[in-house]
Amino acid sequence: MANTDTDLLGSRLTEQERELLNVYEALKKLASQDDLPPCAARNVRRALMSMWQATNDLDLQFEQLYEFGV
Amino acid sequence: MPYTEYWNPKNETLPREQLQALQLRKLRRLCEWAYATTPFHQRKFDAVRFKPEQLKTLDDLRRIPIMTREEWMESLQEKPLFGDMLATDPNNAIRYHLTSGTTGRTPIRVLDGMKDWDWISEMWCYGLWGFGVRPEDIVYFAFGYGSFIGFWGAHYACEKIGSLVIPGGAQTTEARIMQIIEMGVTTVCSTPTYALHLWQKAKERGIDLAKESNVNKVILSGEPAGSIPAVKHQLEEAWGAKCGDTAGMTEIGTIMIFECSHQPGGTHIIEDHFIEEVLNPVNDGPAGYEELGERVVTSFGRGFIPLIRYRTKDMVMKVPASACSCGRTWDLYSGGIRGRWDDMKLIRGTNVYPRAVEAIIREYAAIDEFQIYIWRKEEVQDEITIKLEIKPGHEAEWVVLQHKLAKDLANAHEGLRFNIERVEYGVLPHFELKAKRLADVRPVAQY
Repeated sequence: MANTDTDLLGSRLTEQERELLNVYEALKKLASQDDLPPCAARNVRRALMSMWQATNDLDLQFEQLYEFGV
Repeated sequence: MPYTEYWNPKNETLPREQLQALQLRKLRRLCEWAYATTPFHQRKFDAVRFKPEQLKTLDDLRRIPIMTREEWMESLQEKPLFGDMLATDPNNAIRYHLTSGTTGRTPIRVLDGMKDWDWISEMWCYGLWGFGVRPEDIVYFAFGYGSFIGFWGAHYACEKIGSLVIPGGAQTTEARIMQIIEMGVTTVCSTPTYALHLWQKAKERGIDLAKESNVNKVILSGEPAGSIPAVKHQLEEAWGAKCGDTAGMTEIGTIMIFECSHQPGGTHIIEDHFIEEVLNPVNDGPAGYEELGERVVTSFGRGFIPLIRYRTKDMVMKVPASACSCGRTWDLYSGGIRGRWDDMKLIRGTNVYPRAVEAIIREYAAIDEFQIYIWRKEEVQDEITIKLEIKPGHEAEWVVLQHKLAKDLANAHEGLRFNIERVEYGVLPHFELKAKRLADVRPVAQY
């Protein structure tokens, strides 16, 4: 779950933004598991890559993901 | 539900003071990342005692040293293949592209991680959606799909948007024309030069693309001509379609400006992902609105190779967002990229530095004098011809030299075709002091 209530500009997250951020954080958590089968591990990364765009475009996060190979 | 006009309504209409606050926050994080991970940026920051925490306002940006292409090239040459600019392990990369270098054969090589590569297409989404590309569109890419980055990002952007993508790839111009008509293509992505070439070839075959194709949008990139009114008018007449300009660079991997569907005569800057400064090229002071200056870009995208205050040598003129009626709060470059502050030439979308060409030519002992001759074929296609004189006694080497030199030059310029022409000895001007070996006889663009 997202551990922030605000976006990068300090504005309160909307319900929709919170949901998007929660999905993003859940994917990061999954990507950190090293025992996922390749079909899950690689597709989780693809999904994380996509959610990074949505959450970054909406100013919900600005971070790097290379630690996950993304 | 009808489509919104903007790819990202939140940021495309963000009040400018909030936009600048966002840029400042991202800039500080980017500088922290770059300083922590790349020796290149550590060295540059340390040299002027700059620390990311000194960034309190956006004006503090000017504390950061400007980065040049020459520094990048030096880094590549000292530490092949990527210099000391990589912020993470190359194993994290999924994509490799290159652009021609400023000197000799060394290209600028870039790597992208998974999210960087997707970000590249994301920037194209801003531009393509902004010009009106929608899921219902059928988009044709008149593009060769090589290691030149070109329209790669636009291809994936159209897939992301949900359009039907037709990759033109290695086909003849005639085959491309037939595919555009048969498949009911609505949008063509091309360089301005090649869009004119497609039209001309169609005309020669008795095909009127304005009447016989469904194309209603032509997305242009790779050359400044997309914002030159006369060229744009010619293209719009030829295709019976709206033409939209975009511009990007391999160094950032994608486009940073695009023309929206309101066609204001300029290109919006994607200001939530880039800081675009316009500087006076003489004293590096900031140029105001409506003043010609040099583009200096900071990118918040590709984290693999952080690009901070990168001097582009592009000539631009910034105007405020109010110059366009679309409602975006993003400033524009009136007339797109208007030219260059250096001697780089753009030939069919490929960067050509005369000194890099000369370095390759000088590897051939049989060549005496030479001239780089840039011209326009049939008022449509830019060509580059190397006119050269063979030293007396070396004439027998000409046939092999002609092919090998063309190949060497092409290899150093993303496959660009160079014409090699031998002239009689003594015909070309011989220089003793400042040599002028470049002749660009293309018509000068009128804005």
